[in-house]
Amino acid sequence: MKRKYPITQEMIDRYGVINGDNDIIHYDHDYAVKRGFRGTLAHGLMVSGYAVDMACEKWGKDFFYNGEIDVRFRGPVIPNDVVEISVDPGELRAVTADGDALVGKIGLRK
Amino acid sequence: MTRPSDIKPREGDLPGSKFSDFEIGAELPETRFTITPDIIAEYARSVESDPRGIEVDGRRAALPSVLFVYLMSVFYRRYPPAQGGIMAGNVLRSFSPIWADEETEVVGTGRVEDKFTKKGRNYIKYSAVFHRADNGMKIAEAVNTSTFPN
Repeated sequence: MKRKYPITQEMIDRYGVINGDNDIIHYDHDYAVKRGFRGTLAHGLMVSGYAVDMACEKWGKDFFYNGEIDVRFRGPVIPNDVVEISVDPGELRAVTADGDALVGKIGLRK
Repeated sequence: MTRPSDIKPREGDLPGSKFSDFEIGAELPETRFTITPDIIAEYARSVESDPRGIEVDGRRAALPSVLFVYLMSVFYRRYPPAQGGIMAGNVLRSFSPIWADEETEVVGTGRVEDKFTKKGRNYIKYSAVFHRADNGMKIAEAVNTSTFPN
């Protein structure tokens, strides 16, 4: 199962409102560049949330009682990136044009 | 209703914890919060999902990852965050749904599992468990690894 998410600062800001954080690496472009990134960073858990949504669609009820997502954040996702998420049994990957954003496992616990 | 910002110290509001402050094995204080249908809908919209929730056995359930927006509050209640923290990894295991048509009081607890330095960066790993307050049913457990600049 694959899905693409074009990322905007507005999406990051919207997630930030519900997340309740004030980590300026997500909101301050100049600060993010000073830290060595191309721009502000999408929250890793925001991107993970996309994958969980996909997993709920794929596995349905079972994911709510016996689901697991295990991710390692490999690279940044910044505004104007398109992140493509692949959800397959036991395997999760999110990539942008720059490479892996996150890798891991997703599915039902054994 | 408990918005995550109601219980999560924000970066910059308090002096950020230093790496030396973290203790392996430290218990994280109990954190209680109430997730409402409005919160569930707002979270769903923030991750491009259906704000009505996901159908499970004829009823609507919240995405299990709604707990992601509360997760760090369990850790930050004891260890206020510094600016510039970056997540390295995260695990979430779901055990029962949070229903999208009711208010659910959740109790979160946790523990510092590890701290280590790798390639010049300081990492903290902690675990959290979430239960329903009304009947003690486990909802989810999580393990988070993050790096902080201090």
